[in-house]
Order: sequence, then C-alpha cells, then structure tokens
Amino acid sequence: MSEAAITGKAPEVIWKSKSWCIGFILFLSFLLMALFAAEIAPYDPWARFEPYQPPGSEHILGTNDMGHDILSELIYGSRASLLAGFGAAILATFIGTLVGLAAGYFKGMTDEALMGITDIFLMIPQIPLIIVLAAFLRPSLYLIAIIMGLLWWTSTARVVRSKTLQVREMGYVQAARSLGFSDPHIILTDVLPNILYVIMPKFLLAIASAMIAEASISFLGLGDITMKSWGMMINNAFNRGGFINGYWWWYLTPGLCITLFVLCVVLMGCAFEEQENETMRLQ
Amino acid sequence: MVALFIIISMNFIIPRAMPGDELTNLLGEDVTITDSTIVELRHEMGLDRTWTEQYLDYWWKILHLDLGYSFHLHSDVSRIIVSRIKWTLLLALPSILLGAMAGTVLGALAGWDGRNAGRKIQTLLLLAVYCTPPYFLCLLALYLFSFKLDLFPMKGFYITGSTLDIAHHVFLPILVMTLFSLSRNYMIMRGSVIQEKSSLYAAFARAKGLYNEEILFRHVFRNALLPIITLLAMDFGFMLSGALFIEIVFSMNGMGNLIYDSLLARDYPVLQGSFLIITIMAVSANMLADLLYSRFDPRVKW
Repeated sequence: MSEAAITGKAPEVIWKSKSWCIGFILFLSFLLMALFAAEIAPYDPWARFEPYQPPGSEHILGTNDMGHDILSELIYGSRASLLAGFGAAILATFIGTLVGLAAGYFKGMTDEALMGITDIFLMIPQIPLIIVLAAFLRPSLYLIAIIMGLLWWTSTARVVRSKTLQVREMGYVQAARSLGFSDPHIILTDVLPNILYVIMPKFLLAIASAMIAEASISFLGLGDITMKSWGMMINNAFNRGGFINGYWWWYLTPGLCITLFVLCVVLMGCAFEEQENETMRLQ
Repeated sequence: MVALFIIISMNFIIPRAMPGDELTNLLGEDVTITDSTIVELRHEMGLDRTWTEQYLDYWWKILHLDLGYSFHLHSDVSRIIVSRIKWTLLLALPSILLGAMAGTVLGALAGWDGRNAGRKIQTLLLLAVYCTPPYFLCLLALYLFSFKLDLFPMKGFYITGSTLDIAHHVFLPILVMTLFSLSRNYMIMRGSVIQEKSSLYAAFARAKGLYNEEILFRHVFRNALLPIITLLAMDFGFMLSGALFIEIVFSMNGMGNLIYDSLLARDYPVLQGSFLIITIMAVSANMLADLLYSRFDPRVKW
C-alpha cells in the first residue's frame, strides 16, 4: 500500500466529491453561526417580546410562550448543541484511538484485555444509562457530553485496532523498530499518521450521534436548563403547549437545524469513506 | 456473561455511589416518611448492614426475579414491568422485522446499482430520516396525520380494546419506527454491498454469465448481510429503549413511557428495574448474534 496515495492526495481529491462540498459548506456556516452568535442574532435570546407571534417581519421565525425571539434562540442554541456534540466526539475519538492503538500495536494480552473491555462497553444500553445517570446527577451540558464521550469510543477503538494491526506490519514500521525507536515514538510518528483517515469519518459520525443523543436527552427534560440547546427548544415546545396549539414555528426550526447539521456531518463522513474505498480499489 | 455480571453490579453501585441519601436514592424522592419509618425501612432494606452483605442480598433478589417495590406506584416493580412490556413488544417487534427486511433488500439494490434517479432520491430521503432525531419525526408525523388530517388517533393504544381499534392506534407509531430501522439497515446494507461488489467472487459470477440480480441475491447478498446481523441484534436488544421516544410522543403506555414517568417522578426502583431488563435483553441478543454469525460465516468460530 503506498501511503502517499492516501495521505498525500486525499485533501485534493476529496474536493471533487459533491457530498463533501455540500457537507463542508453547511458545516462551516453552522460553525460560523455558533462562533458569531452575538453578532448575527437580531435580539438577545432571553429578551422578552409579545408571546406566540407567528413568523413575521419583526420576528422572522416568531416568538415562543415567553416571548423569546425564536431566531435568536436558534442561533444561540447552536452553541450549546455544537459544544455537546464536539465535546463528546472529541473525548470519544481520543479514548477510542488510544485504546485501538494500544490494542493493535502491542497485541497479545493487552489486545485481549482492551477488546474485552470494549465488548462490555458495547453492550451497555447507552441511552437508558445516560437517563439513569442524569436522573441521579442533575446534569449540566458538560456532564452529559462527558458521559457520552465515555460511552461512545467503542466503534472507533475497533476500527483503529484493525487498521493498526495492518499498519504495524508495514515495512516502514518494522524499519523504525529495527532502528531501535521506542514504541510510543513509533506509534506517534509512523502508525498514527497512517490511520488518521479512518479516524476522521468515525469522528464525524460521533459528532452526529452525540448531537442526536443530546437533543434526545434534552427532549426528556434532562438537559441543562440554563443552556438553550436545540433539543431544549423542542422540549419546551412539546411541554409548554406549543405542539398542542399548533405553533409549528416553535419546534419545527430547531428540529430542522439538528437534522441539517447531522446530515452535513454524515455527508462529510460518507465522502471520507468513499474516498477510502476509491483508493483501495485503485490499488 | 462477564458483561452481564459487571452491568448488573453497576446497577447496584450507581444509587449507592451517587450524592445524597442512599435511602432516598433507592426509594424515590417524592416519598414522605417519618423518622421512625426511616429507621425501620433502613433495617428492612439492609442499608444498615455491610456492603458485601447488601451485594449478596441484591444478587439473591435478582435471581428470584424480585426487583424491589415501587413506593410511587404501590406495586412490585417486576409486576409493573411485565404489564407494560407486552405493549412495547407489540410496537417494536413488527417495526424491527419490517424495517430489517425492507431495509436490507432496498439497500442491497441501491448498493448494487444506484445510478438511476429514483434510487438516488430514495437514498437521499432515507439519509435525511437517518439524520433526524427520532422524536422529531414522530412529532411531525403526529402533527400531519393526526392533527391536521385527523386520520389517526392522537394517543394511547386503544379506546374500545378491539383488535381493529388497537391496529388503528399503533399504525402510525409502527410506521415511524419502521422507517427508522429501515433507514439504518438501508445505509449499512448499501455500504456493505458496495464493498462486496468489487470483490473477486462477484466478478467471477459475472464472468460465469449469471444475471445481474442473480449475482446480487445468490452471492453478494449473503456476504453483505453480516454487518446487518449485528445491527439487528442490537435493535432487538435495545428494542425497549428504542421505542422510548415514540411512546412518549404518542403517549403510549409501554416501557418507554414507564421509564419517562418514573424519571419525572424520580421513582428510582422502577428506573433501575427497567434498566436491568434492558441490559439483560441486550446481552442475550448479543450472544444470539454471535451464534448467528458463526452460522452465516463458517470462518468465524464462536
């Protein structure tokens, strides 16, 4: 396997994929929205206006029962939602990569022990466990992100392990080993760069599932009340009569935002995977 | 088995390790009791004994299917769960089976030849479903079909209790849930077939002169099915929690709503009992998947 084909060319080729381009542009705009929420949002999300206004010229997406402007809530809500998604995904990918690298590189007992632990974690019903923990702990957004991160590293660990098992037999790794480099050094400089391309799609998918889970937990009323996330907005609409009275603007837009963001992340992940299949086929 | 042991033990540790009084954590928070009853209850539940004794006692109770007593609903937890679980099964079983069958076949076709416009739109639509939070789709369906068009009832499992009435009530939830399991199976099957179709045996089958669809369903399908088995096992295992959001939105009295209600009432015994049942189902489904795996793929030893 020529590693230049994977690591060197990847950034240029991937721009030819349509789904990558669409996903990336959407992703970037959501990111900018979260970063510059204060500048973009027309009002303060906690400022109160006349409640239950349908979308109109003054409030483009209407107002909720407290008279909060939905558009501003939406823009500020992207911060909480993205924070939870990214936080959980970064933690999960970090643990998964660590476990996978260790298991794949050292093999033997380490491998068996780590993969045994992975199997156990795979069987834990995640959403119910988060619910049980959240019920006991009165959670904050950070806590939810951390719990999700601690639960979701399993699939990354498996993929990284199987790739590491391949890479560690490569000529350049064996050369480095025969030159007497230490194991951590080899893992960091030779193995890790060559498995980055399998970690990336896993990372993106982890963001997607973390966002959906965060929205689901918020919907159950277990979210952080002080932070307005998209899931929290839908929860409010559902619990405070927005649904029964047919105020569709209240819950439709946050729902669409979640779907769109997850969609763009998944599209990017798919583009990465297609890319990988393409390079595999070329070889 | 080790996994089961650890998870059940975790269930023992969580209420005892959490901040706050153990008794409150075990009984639920809306129970008001006098001081003398507290002492009595502490003794009765064994909280005044050592942890090892409590732990052994906990296992003894689980092996006798005794999941504790819900002071909120004034009933045995195991009895509550049994009365709710059949409704969830009624909802979840058909959805998972339908979704798995339709998802694999459609996904295989899309992966085999996804060039025409219809299949592309189909993939895009299912991708969108795949990316939607489950409860949001439920809300939309409920709003559109029950609220605006008035085709289906708003909530519950039945009014009169006749079979037709129940069918009318569960149609929409089952539809939404099927769509979800379909979209997931579809995505995985599609990716799996795309990978398999470039392998040598598929090329050989083509060289032998087999028809297109024949190659797909006789040769490729079987191999591409492997990842689906795992997913299906997970689906069955997490069936009770998978229906959670659907039950909440459609106000159906199954396990999901039981968990939600006990959550709102901080009724910890029920919450933990449900978690335990879900775990046991998940672990046994996983073991079943391993068995099936070796059936389908003789190279895998169990």
